[in-house]
Amino acid sequence: MSRENPQTQVFMINLKIRRFDPDENRSWIQKYTLEASRIMRFVDLLRKINDEQDPTLAWVSSCEHGQCGTCSMKVNGKPLLACELLVENAIYYFRTDTFYIEPLNVAPVIRDLIVDFTKAYDRVDQVKPYIIKPVLPRSEGDEFPITPQELERYVNATRCINCFCCAAACISSHETFLGPNAMLNSIVRVMDPREQEKEQRLKILYGYQGVCRCHSSRACSFVCPKEIDVAHFIALAKEGRITKLKS
Amino acid sequence: MNKRLRIDSTLECDLLIIGSGGAGLRCAVEVLESRPQSRIIAITKGLHPQKSHTSTAQGGLAAVDPKDPADKIIYHMFDTWKGSDCTADQNVVRKICQAAWEQILWLENRGMHFSRDQTGKLSKRTFGGHTLNFGESSAYRAVFEADRTGKGIMDTCWGESLKRNISFINQAIAVELLFKDDQCVGCIVFKQKEGEFIRILSRATVLATGGSGQVYKVTTNCRQNTGDGLALILQAGLPVMDPEAVQFHPTGIVGPGILASETLRSVGGILRNKDMDAFMEHYAPKMKELAPRDLVSRAIASEIRNGKGILNPDHNVEHIWIDLRHLSDAVHEKQIPEVTGFFRKYLNLDPKEELCPVHPSNHYQMGGIPTNVFGEVQDSTQKTVFGLYAVGECASASFHGFNRLGTNSILELITMGKFAGDRILAYLKDTPEKFPEAEGDISVARFSRYLESRGGDNIGQIRDEMRTLMTESVGIFRTDEGISKAIDVLKILRHRADHTALSAKSLRMNQELVQHWELDNLLAVSMVIAQAALYRRESRGAHFREDFPERKDEFNYHTLISMEQFGTVEFGSRDIDMSIYNEGGQFYDKFDVIERKY
Repeated sequence: MSRENPQTQVFMINLKIRRFDPDENRSWIQKYTLEASRIMRFVDLLRKINDEQDPTLAWVSSCEHGQCGTCSMKVNGKPLLACELLVENAIYYFRTDTFYIEPLNVAPVIRDLIVDFTKAYDRVDQVKPYIIKPVLPRSEGDEFPITPQELERYVNATRCINCFCCAAACISSHETFLGPNAMLNSIVRVMDPREQEKEQRLKILYGYQGVCRCHSSRACSFVCPKEIDVAHFIALAKEGRITKLKS
Repeated sequence: MNKRLRIDSTLECDLLIIGSGGAGLRCAVEVLESRPQSRIIAITKGLHPQKSHTSTAQGGLAAVDPKDPADKIIYHMFDTWKGSDCTADQNVVRKICQAAWEQILWLENRGMHFSRDQTGKLSKRTFGGHTLNFGESSAYRAVFEADRTGKGIMDTCWGESLKRNISFINQAIAVELLFKDDQCVGCIVFKQKEGEFIRILSRATVLATGGSGQVYKVTTNCRQNTGDGLALILQAGLPVMDPEAVQFHPTGIVGPGILASETLRSVGGILRNKDMDAFMEHYAPKMKELAPRDLVSRAIASEIRNGKGILNPDHNVEHIWIDLRHLSDAVHEKQIPEVTGFFRKYLNLDPKEELCPVHPSNHYQMGGIPTNVFGEVQDSTQKTVFGLYAVGECASASFHGFNRLGTNSILELITMGKFAGDRILAYLKDTPEKFPEAEGDISVARFSRYLESRGGDNIGQIRDEMRTLMTESVGIFRTDEGISKAIDVLKILRHRADHTALSAKSLRMNQELVQHWELDNLLAVSMVIAQAALYRRESRGAHFREDFPERKDEFNYHTLISMEQFGTVEFGSRDIDMSIYNEGGQFYDKFDVIERKY
């Protein structure tokens, strides 16, 4: 086989990054220009900036393959996971080689692209993302039977990773709406046949900060990195069609 | 000493969990279910517990269903023993395999969304190295949540912790364990967001900091897996066990190294070289693609070495193919959607139509902080360190010996987390509620040094050089010459790191400051991996010495290694527990030191 390095396309990329320094309470936009190959990801670009140009640019990632939802940010206005955006796809999708990168507007910025996720998660915590009161299994040492058909109704909603891209894209006010991902976490446990608690569940979902705040713009479904049709589940909740299959 | 650095405040709790992944939180919930009044603090380096590495585990969770007429716990025990290359501890293997199904039900009853069969029961699938009747045929033993089983565990353990009011401190790192009269009494923690040190005094402390995959250039591990727990233990003068046992997953996706789960092979994916030869039949005629990970990794690396690889133009890496084109649409869409999605997303190709490029990627550390079967940390004389526990990938009990079977790691997380929780409950009951005072002085000095050092080097560049070095010289294939050279270079890298100035001196969310600390941890872990690999002049499981390709009985023990000064190590050993064999019960002969052939 050929051992020499085969040619691959190289692009010159401009990144205009929204920065924030908490020590001086100062915000500005900084421009970086760098070389990038075809299937480099945006997290690779940020790392390249740290290693070659500016170690102070703060950003955060974890799994870097779309499973944890840590590296969410806005690129040219669109909330997405930086680990999933390839250079060639970004150029094709946005029709430019200049990208404006800013933190998600779902909680206060700590520094540069790092958002205070603990505060963002407060809204998820409010919907109680667990089984409040479990149905006891039929007998000790047994699983609760759930047919694939029943699971199929809500399994997509369980795939949410709380990256908050949907919350950033949502046109409803963040003050009054707990957010699409929080709704999804809530809906899962309403549809889960193992949850016995009804009153609390419905109060959260149909309360003051619940689905009534949704304007049905479907922005959540449009940006979801896991391709979950978030709006579909919220619509089901609005129609009251999220009761359990058997009841 | 930098004047801005000081320990600002002190918190007190019954239990401190360092690392909020699956193992740490499973342990915390066990304590809270029996003792709801317990004050528990859990810290995580990441943005949030849900972002932990546990969330990325894909394939499944091994457990023998007592209602399964074909499968037996003894088979699972045998497979784990054989897979470990006869280096797992049999008392641990027995305890975990026996508790497995109960722990699956624990998760299911608390809302984990396991995949189901037509009757509504938990679905099961086969996985590499798991067999019926001592190697006769593949066992359907892995329960799973599609290809996001780890996420199911993480969500469940986090949800239950939240429900029971644990105090979480996110984006915080544990920088120094505190001791008083040989008892661990807590930890000094640096809160990244605020740039503050705090002292946490706790009656019991659990290390659950995860693995050290960032030692290697290509890894399936999260960016935060920098061996912090191991470095913390070494800093405290305690030993690490079997660090040389590092697993390389056979099928990392070319480029980012993302894990392409064994599931791809268990549903029928075929590995092919550049001549389209399905080469696994030459290396493991019986198990083929489903042979244990180290065998498959070495088979792939050998094919590539023998000129049977393909060069990827974008990443300039040689690889082989995994062929998924013959699988039905139903398999693609229902069983492996997330994994095949990776190929689409990161390589812009369609696995239904095209071959997928993969090569071995660092995946798991079998070794770690030595513990007994209850997760209690041991010193170099195997005495228990009071008040200190370790669970999950950072710990080694040892369930995996020198090679881990797929689906056994997340099983270990939940079972060892539970066992440690049980032990902590007893410990809290038996010990007084007072908090011994301890100061802690290393960490402030260390961070002060980072802030004040001068020099033009770059932390990221030193880290990359270390990762390339470890991959080339202390990776899948190892030699005396290569490892010795690596040890010398690691010393130079450490010297360079000491003479690297930070670009910004702020304490608040200064990622370069934390990366400097992580680099020190990575270098310490790399050093003990290399030293232990040099010391073990044989091949065993994932540790493969080209100059000593056979396993040798004289090395039938666990390595213990401590390092108080960088580069100066002290070796010890721990016997491998062979209680199943020694008891001489039915099938005891299967648990002798046997040959490992598939």
